[in-house]
Amino acid sequence: MAITRINIGPVHPSTHGVARLVVDLDGDTIVKVEPHIGYLHRGVEKLVENRIYMQSPPYMEKIDYVAPMAVDELYVATVEKALNVDVSEKASYARIILLELQRIASHLFFIGSVTNDLGQSFTGFMWGFMDRDKVLRLLENATGQRMFYVNMRLGGINREFPKDFEYETKEFLDYFEKRLKDYENFIEKNPIFIQRMKGVGILNLDDAINLGVTGHVLRASGVKYDVRKNNPYYKYSELNFHPKILSDGDNLSRFRIRVMEIRESIRLIRDSFYKMESADGSMVGMPVKLFSPKPTNKISIVNRELPRGEGLMYMVADDKKPYRLSMRAPTFINLAALNKIAKGHKLADLFSIFGTLDMVMADVDR
Amino acid sequence: MSIEKKDLVKSIEQAYSEGYTYLVKITAVDYVKTVNVIYILRSLDKNQDKILECELDPANLSVETITHIYEGADWYEREMQEMFGVRINGRKAKRLILEKWDGKGYPLRKSFEWGKPYEKE
Repeated sequence: MAITRINIGPVHPSTHGVARLVVDLDGDTIVKVEPHIGYLHRGVEKLVENRIYMQSPPYMEKIDYVAPMAVDELYVATVEKALNVDVSEKASYARIILLELQRIASHLFFIGSVTNDLGQSFTGFMWGFMDRDKVLRLLENATGQRMFYVNMRLGGINREFPKDFEYETKEFLDYFEKRLKDYENFIEKNPIFIQRMKGVGILNLDDAINLGVTGHVLRASGVKYDVRKNNPYYKYSELNFHPKILSDGDNLSRFRIRVMEIRESIRLIRDSFYKMESADGSMVGMPVKLFSPKPTNKISIVNRELPRGEGLMYMVADDKKPYRLSMRAPTFINLAALNKIAKGHKLADLFSIFGTLDMVMADVDR
Repeated sequence: MSIEKKDLVKSIEQAYSEGYTYLVKITAVDYVKTVNVIYILRSLDKNQDKILECELDPANLSVETITHIYEGADWYEREMQEMFGVRINGRKAKRLILEKWDGKGYPLRKSFEWGKPYEKE
């Protein structure tokens, strides 16, 4: 049978940004998908080389605009390692709280966009975005901004939590823990949703490792790797954290893992608030100055569990500016696996697979 | 760990057989006198990372592909070829990854002039 080649994107509602997919079809079955990326390439790695260390966090936040604080923190942590700046115990817990709130917001965005991509459930979309907005309001209270926070400073965060932040966060968590049951019922009991997701887009364990996929895609295929557990940073090792693993490797597993991770994040935030009461030090870091301390480590490598998977920064330090900063973007490598996952499926399933890989094109292109 | 260019693929194959089956990242740094290619490999069982660094002569920038060992290396290699001009020998896919850049030079090399108006090659 003749192969038909069709072009999807670069501007398409379901590509979550500007991705162009060239799909070879045999009838309605996918033979090959070739993602063409680079439409959002800003050259962040080059921009950073021309700015002093603490001038770059606002750029970093735009790498992943769904979870800006996580990338910001990854960059600041890399600079802290290069300049040998310590983070106090209290600031560590404060960062964990903010990062986990950011993770919840990002995962809710994922739930909203995937259910929207499936086209059959406006409910999931509304739920996800409604609850995400509640989290964003909390983050706005803590940082002063709704989306692009620029809240990380060397050695801590920008300012102390406001007085009502703890109360409001705990109130939200109480509400959200009950609310999450609705999400879980939605996954378990909605037959249309299950039909579209279960057994679709399977990535088996060996392929997952060989392709180097990361984050929830890796864990949904049965690999037990979460940076928070395997290479713990801040106080994650003291918080009794259990990474979530599933073994089916299909769309439904990837979706389920996200919901399970939200529950884990809720617990981590509660624990952190409890432990922060007896923690030492101040949570406020150094103010941003033109002159920062001299770097002591020439090469610093830092990895973090970002909401979309493992992010890693490799920085070669110079006196005032980074000499070279290289970032491993989690979605970049997850998108590379799309061809392998989507092969053999119907065209209609392509976007449920693309959605569950959780693409943010700005993060892919950098 | 620093390695010679001729031993590169052999060392990576060796690391793979030792259990470093997960490729974290391939990147490069332009030190002007040399361009260093960096491979970060990970053993998921031992929970350990291994970093291999290979110095290349800027006049002859090329390495062998490792896509036959790690399938995930493909996109990193393509990105490196486009950003640094490091030629990857033996690769099947010839298309670059970002492929919109048709200007002069390689953006992440230090010789690339910053802030100059865009010039087509």
